[in-house]
Amino acid sequence: MGEYSHLFQFFFSGITTGSIYALIAVSLVIVYRVSQLICFSQGEFFVFGALFMATLISKGVSLPLAFVISLFGSMAMGGFLQWLLIRRIQGSSIGNLIVMTIAIFLALRGLALIIWGRESYVVRPFTESQPITFMGASLQLQVFWIAGITVFVLLLIWFFFEKTMLGLAMRACAENPLGASLMGISVNRAAFFAWAWGAAIGAIAGMTICPLLFTQYTSGVMPMVKGFIAMSIGGLSSIMGSVIAGLMLGLVESYTIGLISSKFSDAIVFTLLILVLLIRPSGLFNSQR
Amino acid sequence: MKKFLIFILLLLFVGLSATNIGYAQKPTGEPYVIGGIFPLTGYLSWLGEYKKKGSELKVELINEADGINGRPLKLVIYDDQSSPEQAAKIAQRLISKDKAIAMIGTASVPISGAVASLANKNSIPAIIGSGYEVNPEKDRFVFNTAHKTDFAVARPFQYFKEKGITKLALLMPIGSLGELGSTLARKYAPSYGITIVGEEKFDVKAPDVTAQLAKLKTLKPQALFSFCTGEPAALVARNMAQMNMNIPVLVSHGNANPGFLKLVSNVNVPIIVPAGRAAAPDAIPDSDPCKKVIAAFNKRHIAKFNEPANYYSAEMVDAIAIIAEVLKTTKGATGEKLRDGIENLKNFVGMQGIYNFSPSDHHGTVLNDMMVFEVKEGKLHMLLK
Repeated sequence: MGEYSHLFQFFFSGITTGSIYALIAVSLVIVYRVSQLICFSQGEFFVFGALFMATLISKGVSLPLAFVISLFGSMAMGGFLQWLLIRRIQGSSIGNLIVMTIAIFLALRGLALIIWGRESYVVRPFTESQPITFMGASLQLQVFWIAGITVFVLLLIWFFFEKTMLGLAMRACAENPLGASLMGISVNRAAFFAWAWGAAIGAIAGMTICPLLFTQYTSGVMPMVKGFIAMSIGGLSSIMGSVIAGLMLGLVESYTIGLISSKFSDAIVFTLLILVLLIRPSGLFNSQR
Repeated sequence: MKKFLIFILLLLFVGLSATNIGYAQKPTGEPYVIGGIFPLTGYLSWLGEYKKKGSELKVELINEADGINGRPLKLVIYDDQSSPEQAAKIAQRLISKDKAIAMIGTASVPISGAVASLANKNSIPAIIGSGYEVNPEKDRFVFNTAHKTDFAVARPFQYFKEKGITKLALLMPIGSLGELGSTLARKYAPSYGITIVGEEKFDVKAPDVTAQLAKLKTLKPQALFSFCTGEPAALVARNMAQMNMNIPVLVSHGNANPGFLKLVSNVNVPIIVPAGRAAAPDAIPDSDPCKKVIAAFNKRHIAKFNEPANYYSAEMVDAIAIIAEVLKTTKGATGEKLRDGIENLKNFVGMQGIYNFSPSDHHGTVLNDMMVFEVKEGKLHMLLK
């Protein structure tokens, strides 16, 4: 079986990177579902979550507590930014709103540079142990944490949007903002919570993934780009679609590197995106439109 | 009698004070202006800070010791913002406005190229510290105290040969650095009996390189070479450890810094880093003449900055020391005379090695001035002296 161990390693490698893309894609979808806006600053919540948690841990705060504090801190930051900046231009064109999210991305990146400098931060894995070996391939335990937390977040999202009044109100805002506001639902409030949720999930992605990376102030770009591709392939407003697309993207990259060549991994991923946009512009898993 | 004694004591006090003032007096002549071009902001700023600290302290020490024949050195520093365009503007300003007699600094090949062209055009010597390969026929006024990039590949390969490592895999970052690493590896591998068994590439922003490593692992290499610096190099080593790929990984000479050592402090694979002596002075044998120079400078560096000098600051310390040495014997510091003085400098003991310049060698150092280290518990341990 040893001769096939690299095939398993490609699979594990794909699952590891795919989980990262999937979580970021989910955070993008949450904001999009409610405000029909692609938030290009999402990668920065990833960075702030990870670096804030790393700082707290370095100050002696326990990992679970640091995780929770960073989570709520990022949530508050997302909500605050929506209240301070997005709400003011809510009525303007989608182009203006996208430019605003790009401006937020650049501002947050600058802020991260001031706070954390250029240094890279390392956070110890949630469970410190040797990687699991399966058929000669090794898988890091942190990937189980990422997968477990992704499943938990998905369940929470499902529960929130399906079973709570606020979630139902947010869905109503997404589907028919005018109708929802006529029914007495505050569209602004729904968008505020969507941003808070989106920021929190972005931060969760950063915090769970940072033990696998060396996180610094520029680390938000790659997950944002790949998360956006996963979101586009999965269907802009499909949460499950973006998760499946994220994992698929990771696996395609990994098997391309392993079986073809590392030179083609990005080219194949982007070709895939172009094909999906040409053949099924609403995404592979979007049944709504 | 008591008054007389007090008077004598007062006289002695004044006399001693005057003597102290005399010794503490700085050199009084017109200063020799040296221009410092460092990346203090931008992506190379982590290097620029080291270089600035080292060169400033070296100038301070020379001036403390009465300067150059009674004339002080004055270091005028500007920030090149890690940009060749900005470096060119600064070099022009240093030459025309500040009347610098020589320039030092820079930290990358493109920035060095920009400064080199102005140095040549204006006949003002520039001692740079980067991977820029000086061609003395073209770069008549350019010198380089950084070890040649070729040394960073050839020396570790020499170590591999000693250890019987003959099968090497390459995992190179996508971009010019990776291309350079790959080219140099293929250039030097045959000379050291090494076969390149395979090559893969990776994006420096990638979160995981286990797929590439798994592919390379099937080729059963005895060592891996990844010519990258900082986080990508640390990621390669960490992913290797996670895959139980316990073979040496050679990374670039840009990693001989505390930041990288911290990143890989818990990584359990042999990480090979080529660097100069200043990277790990404790590992140098007492018989090495450079040890004394490094130890004396480090003492003052630690006292002033709370940290020892390093591989990158050493380049600029040597640049200042070389200019000072040549100025001592040069009458009238014109560009040509300084250039000729540097070209004739032999057996000059610096922190980077023993310099022997000539009209056809503007680097001055040799292959053996590059040491080979292994990272162990966050410290560099010398493998090849």
